[in-house]
Amino acid sequence: MPAQNTPISESFLDVQNVTLQYKTKEYLVTATYRVNFQVYQSERLILLGPSGCGKSTLLKAIGGYLQPTEGVIRLEGREIVKPGPDRGMVFQEFEQLLPWKTVLENVVFALTAGRRMPLHEAKDQAEYYLEKVNLIKFAHSYPHTLSGGMKQRVAIARCLALQSKVILMDEPFAALDALTRQKMQEELLELWSGSHFTLVFVTHSIEEAILLGTRIVLLSPHPGQVKAELNIDWDRLDDPGQQEFKELRDRIHRILFKDQIEYVI
Amino acid sequence: MGGKNLALTELRAEYEREVVAPVEIGNLQRSLSLWEKLWDSGAVRKLLILIVLATIWQVYATRLDNPLMLPTFFDMLVALSQMFLSGELLAKIDTSLRVLLLGYGGGIVVATVLTILAIRNRLGTDLLETLTAMFNPLPAIALLPLALLWFGLGLPSIIFVLIHAVTWPIALNVYSGFTGVSNTLRMVGQNYGLTGLGFIWNILVPAAFPQILTGLKVGWAFAWRTLIASELVFGVNSGSGGLGWFIFEKKNQLEIASVFAGLFVVIVIGIFVENGLFKLIEDKTITRWGMKS
Ligand SMILES: Nc1ncnc2c1ncn2[C@@H]1O[C@H](COP(=O)(O)OP(=O)(O)OP(=O)(O)O)[C@@H](O)[C@H]1O
Ligand SMILES: [Mg+2]
Repeated sequence: MPAQNTPISESFLDVQNVTLQYKTKEYLVTATYRVNFQVYQSERLILLGPSGCGKSTLLKAIGGYLQPTEGVIRLEGREIVKPGPDRGMVFQEFEQLLPWKTVLENVVFALTAGRRMPLHEAKDQAEYYLEKVNLIKFAHSYPHTLSGGMKQRVAIARCLALQSKVILMDEPFAALDALTRQKMQEELLELWSGSHFTLVFVTHSIEEAILLGTRIVLLSPHPGQVKAELNIDWDRLDDPGQQEFKELRDRIHRILFKDQIEYVI
Repeated sequence: MGGKNLALTELRAEYEREVVAPVEIGNLQRSLSLWEKLWDSGAVRKLLILIVLATIWQVYATRLDNPLMLPTFFDMLVALSQMFLSGELLAKIDTSLRVLLLGYGGGIVVATVLTILAIRNRLGTDLLETLTAMFNPLPAIALLPLALLWFGLGLPSIIFVLIHAVTWPIALNVYSGFTGVSNTLRMVGQNYGLTGLGFIWNILVPAAFPQILTGLKVGWAFAWRTLIASELVFGVNSGSGGLGWFIFEKKNQLEIASVFAGLFVVIVIGIFVENGLFKLIEDKTITRWGMKS
């Protein structure tokens, strides 16, 4: 838990010079090129960029599902070499819950899978987090009986219950309708203010980035390179910051628009 | 778009209203009538079909009036009940099912080992693909002469042939089920720190369960078929043969009603396993999980 008055100034998750490539049978694609950014503890860092710029790829690399061809990613100074529960991941797809387990079992299993926690303890913790996302009533339902938004909430609860060092979210609300998305964004911020987890959140929506982030990493189109890092230094929960919101949005627009002109020429 | 006056339809009054609270609407569900429930049950509908078929049989055989070619349904039932009472048939069923389970179980084990090898490394994949390509098209019965040569007249030969019949369809289905598991679910499993057998058992097996079940069903059908056929060819092992042998024997004694009774038992067991056992497993698993397509 971060101390309230001394600001954290130490890099927690360190992405250094990371180039990521996909090798298929026919060709080699460079998804991101020499990307650098740091995430501090309790930060809500947003990776924002156009479709296909390598956001998901970058997040997968942080998750350890993919190794950089160049550069290194470190969490608390240790190089990331494989996936693990210290980096809980929420995916865009609704089909990320195990369909053969109930909502509660899904969360419990996340905690007991690596034999990291005894069953009864895992159950208590799972129930606690399901309560937090208002899904305790559905604890014994199977995922296929839930709506998309509910499934994503379970996935978030599962991730929070893991108590990962970093939580990675890949456009978790992108497939939701506008009303549900807005509600989920608010809920996520509320959850954050409860436990100040470190969050790396991928989106291609400028509004969502501004609403949720404390810092935005802006990526260029394919292959992704860091174009800018921006701060959001108002507290959205107290004050929607209409004016700043618009200014920032326009600024990000400009940065993206500049790209598009280059693209057309 | 122009202003609101450009609307093509007549302007209607706006309104807002309070909706009725769900609790006041009361129970929106209604329980089904007995008839609806019966008709909804697949078992009942299938039973109806069977009754119709039996009736057709009975009527046709009565009119044909040639018990040597086609005994009536009731003659068959009589023969059946007599043999049940004498205990003759139960012993045959017992023998057949024992052999079947040995072969089926053996096939499952071989298929499991092969698929695990196949998903763990590329050479294993090649091995599985080559072996299935070679042996899957080969009818199990065609191996019987060889089996007789190697294992002699008796149980080991039948079991060898059964294992051959069961292994390939199961291995094929399970393997294709495993490869079809979505990347997202795989990543979820890895996220939990699952690897190796833990990953296979906790993620791949349940995620591929629809195909695994298909494989088990096909394997079962192949095994049952192969067993009866190979017993027909050489049922005698240490005195008591199985159902296939029983059918063969009765034909030689010209007890045709008993032949039909034997066939009937083969069919009934098949139906029971397919619609009873496998259906039960399906209801408890993939239907409940919403994974049935
Ligand atoms: N499995 C793969 N094999 C080959 N190329 C891939 C693979 N996955 C992604 N790519 C390529 O890598 C690039 C980056 O893809 P990525 O999925 O990371 O984009 P993204 O920023 O997440 O886009 P979106 O916002 O649409 O999700 C794209 O050009 C894509 O074609
Ligand atoms: Mg993506």
